[in-house]
Amino acid sequence: MRVLILTPEFPPKRLGNISDHVSTLAHELVKRKHEVEVVVLDDWRPGFEDVQGVHVHRVANPIKTHPMASVLTYAITASLSMESEAADIIYFYKSMQKNIDVVHCHEWLTVYPAINIKHAFGIPFVLTFHSVEAHRSHASFGPLSIAIKEVEDMGIWESAQVITNTEWLTNEVLRYYGGGHKRKVNVVWPVAKDWVDSVVSVYQKIVEAS
Amino acid sequence: MRVLHLSWEFPPRIIGGIASHVFDLSRALTRRGNEVHVITCNFPGARPYENVDGVNVYRVESYAAGDSFLGWALRMQKNIERSGCDLINFINGVDLIHAHDWLSGIAGIGLKHLYRRPLVSTMHSTERGRRIGIHDDLQASIDEIESWLCQESWRIITCSYYMRDHVSTVFRVPQDRICVVQNGVDVNKFNFNLNYWEFRNRFAHGSEKILLFVGRLVPEKGLDVLIEALPIVLSSGVDAKIVAVGEGPQREEYQQMADRYGLSHKTLFLGHVDDWTLRALYRVADITIVPSKFEPFGIVALEAMAAHCPLIVSAVGGLNEIVDHENTGIKVSVNDHDALARGIIRIIRDAGFRDWIVRNAFQKCMWNYNWNNIAEWTSGVYETVLHEYYRGSWKPIF
Repeated sequence: MRVLILTPEFPPKRLGNISDHVSTLAHELVKRKHEVEVVVLDDWRPGFEDVQGVHVHRVANPIKTHPMASVLTYAITASLSMESEAADIIYFYKSMQKNIDVVHCHEWLTVYPAINIKHAFGIPFVLTFHSVEAHRSHASFGPLSIAIKEVEDMGIWESAQVITNTEWLTNEVLRYYGGGHKRKVNVVWPVAKDWVDSVVSVYQKIVEAS
Repeated sequence: MRVLHLSWEFPPRIIGGIASHVFDLSRALTRRGNEVHVITCNFPGARPYENVDGVNVYRVESYAAGDSFLGWALRMQKNIERSGCDLINFINGVDLIHAHDWLSGIAGIGLKHLYRRPLVSTMHSTERGRRIGIHDDLQASIDEIESWLCQESWRIITCSYYMRDHVSTVFRVPQDRICVVQNGVDVNKFNFNLNYWEFRNRFAHGSEKILLFVGRLVPEKGLDVLIEALPIVLSSGVDAKIVAVGEGPQREEYQQMADRYGLSHKTLFLGHVDDWTLRALYRVADITIVPSKFEPFGIVALEAMAAHCPLIVSAVGGLNEIVDHENTGIKVSVNDHDALARGIIRIIRDAGFRDWIVRNAFQKCMWNYNWNNIAEWTSGVYETVLHEYYRGSWKPIF
């Protein structure tokens, strides 16, 4: 299977736990003979690197100034860089008559590129929630938080499958964004022994459906 | 040729000058046999899909409010981009994407890479120009987006040579990537039946000459220069009255200024007026005056020329190129109210000179600022771009 992973962080960039989570996932997938392309936001190390079989494409956001340090404007402008890098990867495979089977995006920060790639190329995507905006932000009814919640909501609607870390987070996601999404939310506990196999089985669900 | 235009405004949603520009340009391109699709923001009462004289207009969801103007503008553009993907898939591809200003440029950059199709963008104005410098983070961010858009565009279109130099200097774009295609005006819109005196008497006495000012009441439009020129004109024995169309934060200040000169009875602030009234005002006005201090193009000058109204402009930006001094109008230095007053007196006293500049100006309008010619020149830009594109290696499948 050929997987394109979109993530806000990948080692050596570490802002939170997503970095190591995605890194483990990517390396384990490569061990299982899947082809993995990672597009990651990294303003300080743009470029391509082959990390033991994982193809890492680090892209920078050309827009450096964000009024009131708005994470929203950062995410949207950065999503454009990710999109164009992802499109280049897809065209590269197309030139060899190959296709990306599934896109896997992490957190709302990478939802926009995943959605646009889905619309442009028809590649379905999996969205992993590591947390939700309502928990991260303590004043979560401000305009900024509401905008971010809208992005999370849109991500759930557009995704083919959703992955969460725990039953509890699943319930929270369903509580905020509607119980109707229940059938496509999967729980993958990332400390379980064979959690990567569970992720692969989610990919397989999508490939079989499409 | 199949072209996708992206614009954040399209009639009936009119905020600045881009709406009418895209409206006229897309219709003129369609008349030349192109297939034009426009994606724009939704507007209360406007339909999500509409066929406007052959132009396919799609209006997509733009949010009612956002965390900030920039946040709103970016999310709105992501929606335009997403709908753009669906549209391009539905109509089986487009030849070229044309974005207008940074307010649709982000969507344009995205679609360019997703479909590997060339992007042409029109820089109607720049953030530096509008605010005369970069003063805060919001502006800096917009400035960076404009710079990015210029980098990503295959060709940039500007409306004047002044803007070409400005864009090339500010964003360090080589001049061979910038094409100048001027704005246009539809002269037929000024050709309608008008009860001249009945309409004119609403604004001034029969003996008063109407000096028309059209523009937002902001410092860069320079209405203060015109108010300072008025006492000089009056003292020479010419009876004249300023009629100012437009609204803005400086209105109070300008009214007080006229009061100080004791001229409040010789100045009339109309605020916003509807389209028809504005066009009729051009026809009854004795002189149209554009005393701007910064002007990327100056569409007011074209409208006056099309309505056979003599024109005095300050020699700045695009106005400098529209008016040939003593041939299609009078040019004065920026902030020079003495020269402005002399110009006003000269046009009013010398009827032969007045007829000469009005006739020349109208002829220039008919040729240089004709939408059919502009569409032809714009198509020329498209053809150049596609020619280069097909010879290059950056394509969907190579």
